[in-house]
Amino acid sequence: MRSLSRMLIVALALALLGPVLFIGQAPAADDVKIALVAPLSGRWARQGQLKKMGADMAIEEINSQGGIKALGGAKIVLREADAGDSVEKAVSAAQRVLTREKISAGIGSWLSSFTLGVTEVAERLQVPWLSLSYADSITERGFKYTFQTSPVSSLQAEQALDLVTDLAKKNNRPIKKAAIVGDNTAASMFFYKPLREKLLAAKGIELVVDDVWTPPLADATAIVQKLRSTQPDIVFYGATNFPDSIQVLQKVKEFNVKSPIQGVGAWLVTPEYVKTVGKDVLDNIQTVVAAHPMKGQEELVKKFKQRTGEPFMTQDPLCTYAHVWLIKEAIEQAKSADPKAIRDALAKIDISSGPAVSAFYPARVKFDERGRRIGATPLIVQWQDGEPYTVVPTAVATRPVAWHK
Amino acid sequence: MVFAELVQYVVTGLLVGGVYALMSIGLGLIFGVMRVVNFAQGDFMMLGMYLTFFYAVAASIDPLAGALLTLPPFFVLGWIVHRLLLARVTGGDPGRQHDAQLILTLGLSLVITNATTMILTPTPRGIRTSYATQAFALGPVLLNQARSYAFVMALVLAGLVYLFLTRTDLGRALRAAADDPEAASYQAIDVRTMHGLAFGIGIALVAAAGGLLATYYPIEPNVAGNFIVLMFVAVVLGGLGSIPGAFVGGLIIGLVQSLTLLVLPFQLQNTGVFVAFLLVLYLRPQGLFGRRARTV
Repeated sequence: MRSLSRMLIVALALALLGPVLFIGQAPAADDVKIALVAPLSGRWARQGQLKKMGADMAIEEINSQGGIKALGGAKIVLREADAGDSVEKAVSAAQRVLTREKISAGIGSWLSSFTLGVTEVAERLQVPWLSLSYADSITERGFKYTFQTSPVSSLQAEQALDLVTDLAKKNNRPIKKAAIVGDNTAASMFFYKPLREKLLAAKGIELVVDDVWTPPLADATAIVQKLRSTQPDIVFYGATNFPDSIQVLQKVKEFNVKSPIQGVGAWLVTPEYVKTVGKDVLDNIQTVVAAHPMKGQEELVKKFKQRTGEPFMTQDPLCTYAHVWLIKEAIEQAKSADPKAIRDALAKIDISSGPAVSAFYPARVKFDERGRRIGATPLIVQWQDGEPYTVVPTAVATRPVAWHK
Repeated sequence: MVFAELVQYVVTGLLVGGVYALMSIGLGLIFGVMRVVNFAQGDFMMLGMYLTFFYAVAASIDPLAGALLTLPPFFVLGWIVHRLLLARVTGGDPGRQHDAQLILTLGLSLVITNATTMILTPTPRGIRTSYATQAFALGPVLLNQARSYAFVMALVLAGLVYLFLTRTDLGRALRAAADDPEAASYQAIDVRTMHGLAFGIGIALVAAAGGLLATYYPIEPNVAGNFIVLMFVAVVLGGLGSIPGAFVGGLIIGLVQSLTLLVLPFQLQNTGVFVAFLLVLYLRPQGLFGRRARTV
């Protein structure tokens, strides 16, 4: 028993010392602290890791270029909190990080379901919050402190559908039958909803498969079997959880399903897809995203790849990079690190150049009264030869779009 | 419902259940012999997946062989974990030790998951095998090759464990230590060693199950969360501590998950499992293969 208590003491000591060992230098008093609440553990940890890469890159740039000029060169310091794998954990992480010390602004939390919870905390504590999440409801609650830079899901659904019907027509394969396959996380659900309720019917498209699951998916056989027997002309695909998505794609290959896949979200264009299922399975799969490197951003992408060793840059680091820069711009305009002043500056901001708008299409940041970026338009990204390229809109495309043969 | 489609659902369910079954017998064995509820079982499975991945990348070993090669190192790991940690909170007064065991295995699970996330990063990895995307065709019914191989190997491993427990002296000693530790110690059976043996085998089996899973399932530090609840359900369903029970429990879960889809939408897939679980507990509280608790 005594040895057990000795072990417990050692464990406790390690637990207490741990944070001290892993946190770098303590910030000076006048540093500006911004919070990143993102999943750093659990099934969406990879996305949190990617977001952090983007934030780190922006902060390093800002600080090395002399920090925030309006505050006498104050440096930006990142405070990250782990949103984990449930809304409850995300909310308590936000609560913790925002109450422990003075935070000027926050970013997060990737999954719309998390963002919905986290922004409630930010609203209550009056900290301005930037999010790349898609769900419409994020900016439908009359919140004053939430700013959504991405086009909302329903808009993405509309534009994705327009685009694929157009492409299909041009290739003499009009879309008559569609399938919806994916999980029931918030952004995906908001994407399916308008398709089911009006968009598909308006175009005379029949919905032949509508299978939505709660992650994790045990097995994809039943779903893909339905795809095989109904042969839809397009599959709207929302499997945000990586193992689920891999199981579906493996089955698609096994059952030789040829239906084009139109994803919703940047989770479908991460490097690990190539390693796990191979580029032949991915070829021509496309997805609608809020951001992806566009024509003219080669330098930024090169720098990111060198820093991180990632084979390409995607929405999550790109948006978070821009969010940090956007907060910096707001602080410059507010001339204050006070959260309320930053919120007011964000509400008024109207910029169309510089790194703060680098992630967005069109390249302008101005928010409407709900906190939505005015004019936000999604991009279509397509896998070609094992790498995802922006293919639509053509003005910023890095490759022309290819349609399934 | 076409007959072939029904057969496909049954076959798919059994194939999925095969790996659940192998995962569960390790947990069942550890509970049966040591009365320890091992919350870290899924994390050892995750480590088994990573070792198989490492074998595949570093030495180009096929994951099916890699899964078998996880057995010896994980047996040793299990033995060491038992010696260093679990042995301190097992044996003695069971009532008093129970909390310590729960906290220890839960803590171990947290430490393993988070250390893996820190060291190996949360980036998912996968072993690309040709058989993960190919199927054996039995008429209109398709059997995924990776899952079929995994099923057969799970069956063989489970069979070997069963033979070991019933046909060898060591296995009998293990069961004796499980049934009545005090009486076993009168028969010169070292109960502590038996516990180490059970824990080592239990961990090795779940690591091998992880290796088989890795032939078609991506590997990430938190993968345990997708399976641990099902493992516990399988063990309780089959009857706590019963090895054949845990195996059958795993198969039933796979089958129920698959057949649920015939009547319920996908979102309620696991509802079927838990309804079946509650039914079994209601009708047969000791589980399918469990014995009623001894009364004095």
